[in-house]
Amino acid sequence: MSNRWRLPDLGIGIGLRTVHFGHILGKNPPVDWFEVLSENFMNTGGRPMHILDQVAERYPVALHGVSLGIGNKDPLNREHLQNLKDLAKRTRAHWVSDHLCWTGILGRNTHDLLPMPYTEEALSHTVERVKQVSDFLERPLVLENPSSYVEFVASTMPEWEFLSRLAEDADCGLLLDVNNVYVSSFNHGFDPDVYIDRVPADRVVQYHVAGHTNKGTHIIDTHSDHAIEAVWTLYRRAWARTGATATLYEWDENIPELEVVHSEALKARAWREEPEVAAPTHGA
Amino acid sequence: MALETPLDGLQRWMQAVVVHPGTTDEAVASPDAQREVPAEALGEVILPSPTLSPVERVGVYHDMYLLRMHDCLAGDYEALKHFLGDRGFIDLVRDYVKQHPSRSYSLNRLGDHLPEFLETASGIRRRGFSVDLARLERAVARVFDAPEMPPLSEAALAAIPEAAWEGARLRTVPGFELLSFRYPVNAYLQTVRDDDHDHPKPRVRSSWAAVYRHDYSVWRLDLTRPEHDLLRDLSSGQPLGAATATALKRGGRRAPKEDDLFAWFRRWASGGMFATVDL
Repeated sequence: MSNRWRLPDLGIGIGLRTVHFGHILGKNPPVDWFEVLSENFMNTGGRPMHILDQVAERYPVALHGVSLGIGNKDPLNREHLQNLKDLAKRTRAHWVSDHLCWTGILGRNTHDLLPMPYTEEALSHTVERVKQVSDFLERPLVLENPSSYVEFVASTMPEWEFLSRLAEDADCGLLLDVNNVYVSSFNHGFDPDVYIDRVPADRVVQYHVAGHTNKGTHIIDTHSDHAIEAVWTLYRRAWARTGATATLYEWDENIPELEVVHSEALKARAWREEPEVAAPTHGA
Repeated sequence: MALETPLDGLQRWMQAVVVHPGTTDEAVASPDAQREVPAEALGEVILPSPTLSPVERVGVYHDMYLLRMHDCLAGDYEALKHFLGDRGFIDLVRDYVKQHPSRSYSLNRLGDHLPEFLETASGIRRRGFSVDLARLERAVARVFDAPEMPPLSEAALAAIPEAAWEGARLRTVPGFELLSFRYPVNAYLQTVRDDDHDHPKPRVRSSWAAVYRHDYSVWRLDLTRPEHDLLRDLSSGQPLGAATATALKRGGRRAPKEDDLFAWFRRWASGGMFATVDL
């Protein structure tokens, strides 16, 4: 089964990070594709863009943003959208993703992925904005499920229901971050298998897998380590529902050599080859 | 029971808490936050988890905000952080982002107002030196992000008729900044980059530098006062003949000779400082 837009399974990729620029251009490592943090390549005309142009010549890329603020109550930033569209065209990005979150209000940007309350008001607001963005970009926006540390009393539905209804009503794609599902399930005490099973499989165009930091009382989504087995188990469960789908390993803190990140990403292959969904072995 | 707060009110409340410079308890009790949600009603907005109270949960976002701003500014102001020390720098970041929060989708320009902020901020160590150091590091950050433009080639320069040089006006590449300082801050920045612990003392000693980009790398070139003044005249659009004539007159007995000007110009041109020449 593939996603409804037939966006390609790009294989197993890693994030394009500054510390790896030299290695990538000098050694052409056999990475299937790179995910590019969109905002890092906007409003800059120097070396980063020069590097990205070369990477995009050699590898497939997808854009992944952190500042769209799809849930913001402030108006959409047209300059940002235009820059995003231009960057997608320049890099021939296969898709453009961001997060289900809000980032700021009153003209400010906290540069955090702040959680939405899962209410009807928030849903209709976000659906309208996703439609506007997809229209502007002339492609379906892809949204990632967030990791979160608070739950709002006002929420009237679980996150997976909000995400699923949003995807259906706004006709957008999903970037399913299985680490985020695990992190939020730990922080909020829900069953991650239920989350994975309820996400509309034909809308998933990409996976994220990553490591996190367990503080004991809660988990922080740090992207700073190897992924734990419970996260890979969720990946296998989701994979069994969606079939071949582009997969990306995120490593953003204490970033090791490219080979280390890549070898962690390649573990996905082993988890894909399991023929059956495992019994739920996750937990605290 | 849920406190009935519309989405925009909820966002105003949470942002007020997240960006507050004090503790999370102080943030929840701040006037900006309480305008939307009374502190005693926090439990009607945020659910507790089995291990964390509502204030501890929202505190995760609150604590990460300042760290994120710190990491961004520490990237652009590495030497300033070194000079002020970890404690001094985090205090500066806290005060700075309160007055100059990010209003952009990009963090690239978060630190653009830092040198001016330092001029009046409280508790700044050796203010004059800190301001000069910040001006230099801001120039490096801006030049790093400036649009790329190929420099004038040696062949293009050689093709200019001799008779045209007098009236020629040189334009620098977009990534070019000329700076003058009261302190030797370029030398200080270099010792920080080199992890050399023999840092210049923050004593008054005038210095000049050009920061420019060539072949996608940012360069910092120390200049003498006469070099700085000539480059300033050239980059402001003065014709080459007038600018060099002025340079030869400046400085009295210590004025540069024509051969000096020729050597400077050749160094600047081969370094990639000039983008075009108008004849």
